[in-house]
Amino acid sequence: MATLELIDIAKRFTKKVWGVKKMDLKVEDKEFIVLLGPSGCGKTTTMRMVAGLEEVTRGTILLDGKDITDIPPRDRGISMVFQNYAIWPHMTVYENIAFSLKLKKMSAAEIKERVEETAAMVKIGELLKRLPGQLSGGQQQRVALARALAVRPKLFLMDEPLSNLDAKLRVTMRTELKAIHQQTNATSIFVTHDQSEAMSMADRIVIMKDGEIVQIGTPDDVYFRSANMFVAGFIGTPPSNFFNVECEYTKENISLKHSHFTLEIDSMKFQELGKYRGKEIVLGVRPEDLLIVPESKAVFTAEVLVVEPQGSHQVVAINLKEIIVKMVVSAETKVKPGDKIGLGFNIKRIHFFDSKTENRIVFKGGV
Amino acid sequence: MVPYLLIAPVVIYYSIFWLFPVLNAIIESFRNVDGIWTVSNYIHIFKDPVFYQALSNTAFIVIFSVTIEFILAFGLALLINTKFRGSSMFLFLAMIPMSLPAVAVGAMWSSGLATRGWLNSFLMTFGFIDDASKILFLAGGKMSTMLLIIIIDAWTVIPFVMIILLAGLQGIGEDVREAGAIFGGTKFQILRKITIPMLKPTITTAMILRIISAIQIWLIIVLLYGFNRLPVLLEQVVLNYDQLGAEYFERIGLALSVLVAIIVSAAAVLYLKVSGSFEKEVKQDE
Ligand SMILES: Nc1ncnc2c1ncn2[C@@H]1O[C@H](COP(=O)(O)OP(=O)(O)O)[C@@H](O)[C@H]1O
Ligand SMILES: [Mg+2]
Repeated sequence: MATLELIDIAKRFTKKVWGVKKMDLKVEDKEFIVLLGPSGCGKTTTMRMVAGLEEVTRGTILLDGKDITDIPPRDRGISMVFQNYAIWPHMTVYENIAFSLKLKKMSAAEIKERVEETAAMVKIGELLKRLPGQLSGGQQQRVALARALAVRPKLFLMDEPLSNLDAKLRVTMRTELKAIHQQTNATSIFVTHDQSEAMSMADRIVIMKDGEIVQIGTPDDVYFRSANMFVAGFIGTPPSNFFNVECEYTKENISLKHSHFTLEIDSMKFQELGKYRGKEIVLGVRPEDLLIVPESKAVFTAEVLVVEPQGSHQVVAINLKEIIVKMVVSAETKVKPGDKIGLGFNIKRIHFFDSKTENRIVFKGGV
Repeated sequence: MVPYLLIAPVVIYYSIFWLFPVLNAIIESFRNVDGIWTVSNYIHIFKDPVFYQALSNTAFIVIFSVTIEFILAFGLALLINTKFRGSSMFLFLAMIPMSLPAVAVGAMWSSGLATRGWLNSFLMTFGFIDDASKILFLAGGKMSTMLLIIIIDAWTVIPFVMIILLAGLQGIGEDVREAGAIFGGTKFQILRKITIPMLKPTITTAMILRIISAIQIWLIIVLLYGFNRLPVLLEQVVLNYDQLGAEYFERIGLALSVLVAIIVSAAAVLYLKVSGSFEKEVKQDE
């Protein structure tokens, strides 16, 4: 069990290519951290630096307060699940799991006990005598997992471990991984580019973009209090809708003017918008915070483009000339393409972003 | 029917250009000058002490040159595979010996190793030796003549073995070795427990190819020492078949070449057996 601290680490591959530009992160004991970001944002590079497979260009890595920046991988007390498993094809499942234990000079009896216990935890107890070539992708994944768990690492790294599995198995494994984490309590860093995977598994999510951290927070933080438009547009299925609006003040209200609608909001609740008077800002609305309302109460009306039933709910896409807006409605709602519907906003949950910096505009009174 | 039609050209080609001459050689090796069936050609060989010399010299060269070549080539392949700066330039340089035909190699070394050759001049220029202490590379005893052949052969074929091993190494993903490092392996343990076992099919291929061609070494020896100074199997085949100029010896040459073919096949099978059973042993001790 351990804490991990990354202090101003960076990795430069060539003159122009930075794998990671700047990274500061503190992972608490027993925490399950997910690194999330689009492909190429530096997640793998970060993991490899922590594991010791890649030298840092700058910065310090502390594990339990001890500087491990320059010590070789085998002495770090870290284990890792690779994206394409990297289990050894010439060794049986048993030998794969026992490899690190043998090198640690554990006794044969201890090794046997540990291997069997770990294999049972990931449900491959019956496969110990097989070679990896005789296993399915999902089973190989479990071998990689067992191998990494058997060492009882201080820190457990997983680089997109589920991305090679089919959709159904991926969801099952999420649950299993989380259960294993609750059982072992190993401090873990999990990498994924799949935001729903991140949301469902993380204690805290670290969102990365172009080699830098954009936001660190709980799943609720990043969803309800997205730090900027990148996060708001990355998290959520479907992600946030954005409207460019003109911020104008009337006597007691702020009126947000969009080419399709004008939304009046209370100037007392949104005092911080004062400095944007007469300027353009971005209104961010989560798909479930756009509501179908009777036309009499509607802020605007629009035509339904497509309806995507999801079983538990439906995703409705609306065409507003220049943009497609997506909203989530209940399964019972009766809408079909071509319908004219009235729309309103859940004012308590709308967000504003500075249109230049794209950063979230924070209000003292909450929201 | 279709498959047979498709392989027919290959079968015909092999029958005409390979199978027929081979069968002919075998048949002729069992006949004497008068066309009478006999094993006298073989008896001649087995009574000839030079044959046994050739056999032991060849065995010596095969065992030592293949071992040395393998160790050095594997080392080089591992080095180049680390992709250090300038490794591709190094790879290019290392491949030069491979691009030279055997005759050129022979000419180069025999002119270099002659008493007034370039190697002695080189050593003199740099003051390692003086005119009185020139090294008589080619005049040495049997052991040093053989060592010289082994060194030259190694120089020529190490690039070839290295390329095969390098291709094999590159086929093994980086990640299985990285996993080895994370799960507690030192560089040497990773090499022994992961890289080499995974490279085994490639190693077997390289070794078999090398053993076969090492048994067939002759041209370089003849170019450096002439015939009969350091007898080896294939040199004796060429000598008898091509150089002595009598039909009697031609048939001896044919019989010898049949024996060489048998020895080559036996060596290959033996190697496969030995390396296969070795694998089983490892499995049991796990
Ligand atoms: N060995 C390398 N050499 C050069 N550039 C690299 C290397 N590895 C990664 N990169 C670059 O670094 C950036 C981050 O890569 P990576 O960490 O693999 O991203 P992610 O895992 O988030 O998809 C990418 O632009 C990638 O092209
Ligand atoms: Mg990656």
